[in-house]
Amino acid sequence: MTKHQGAIEVEGHVVECLRSAMFTVQLDNGHRVLAHISGKIRKNYIKILPEDRVLVELTPYDLTRGRIVFRYRN
Amino acid sequence: MNTKPFSSGPVGQAMVVARVAEGQWHALEDDLVVGRGHAVRRPDGRLFVSIDAWHAATFDHLAEVMLADLPAPLFTLVDEADVELTSSWQRAGFTIRRREWEFAVPTDPRVTGLETLLLPPGVRIVPAGEADEDLLRNLDRAIREEVEAGVGWHSMPAQVRPRPAGMTIVDPSRYTVAAAPDRYLGLVRMVTVTRQPRIGLIAVRVGEQRRGIARALLAHVLGTLHRRGTAAACAEVDETNQAALALFRGIAARRTGSNLELAR
Repeated sequence: MTKHQGAIEVEGHVVECLRSAMFTVQLDNGHRVLAHISGKIRKNYIKILPEDRVLVELTPYDLTRGRIVFRYRN
Repeated sequence: MNTKPFSSGPVGQAMVVARVAEGQWHALEDDLVVGRGHAVRRPDGRLFVSIDAWHAATFDHLAEVMLADLPAPLFTLVDEADVELTSSWQRAGFTIRRREWEFAVPTDPRVTGLETLLLPPGVRIVPAGEADEDLLRNLDRAIREEVEAGVGWHSMPAQVRPRPAGMTIVDPSRYTVAAAPDRYLGLVRMVTVTRQPRIGLIAVRVGEQRRGIARALLAHVLGTLHRRGTAAACAEVDETNQAALALFRGIAARRTGSNLELAR
């Protein structure tokens, strides 16, 4: 887990693609979060699929929600 | 660093929005980054922006500063299902310019109905990696000119818009081609970044359309994927492109979502 300028970033993998442009991500620490994808990822047409390994930025306001900021090439 | 302070943030603290690098803005609260904005110029010259913020007020502050810093027109892309983000951009003055549908395209010929497809007379398929590069570039150039003279690239998914002159084909090995004995007639570009291949572009010369060439190209590339064990590919189609919609619906492609392109 890394902390970058106030943002907590955690690696995990996508479990499920939900409606409303949301994803369920299983974090490496065992927790599950509801995440959407970052604007940079959408702008670059990067597709997120179940089983994708991703980096999630957690909101400091609610640790059950996050934002996918990077998809690893696995 | 150019900064612009705001009197209150989402929880009452002072917020500052700062341009921290070319095309990058941060919203800071108590020296913590609580929002980020980005701007990037696409190969077709258009400027696309994005904002990531946890609160509407942060989004609005970032948008205000970014829009004041950047020249119009500006574009952004949102998932249509993300109603909150769409309305955030609309608050900032953006309007919906066009919609593109996302499709999951099955590869199994028994599902697509491409199992018994016959090639149009006089047409052969040149597999990916075997196309003559000069003929391929000529075909690509001709198709792009035909599109420009017809419906225009503005109605195409953002990913297939033309790059600067001379750079339209980055990797020739990704193209499968439909060929007549003396020239190329149509092409399909497949892109595989991770596990799901994407149909990046499919096009046929204007005078050769309605002969089944696009279906023949799809039959070849999808059949190849199926034999390699890939169950589906994905594709994006502009909602006004009736021919492309009919092509994909005709092979049992399933709509999985939609993207909105907004402009200001």
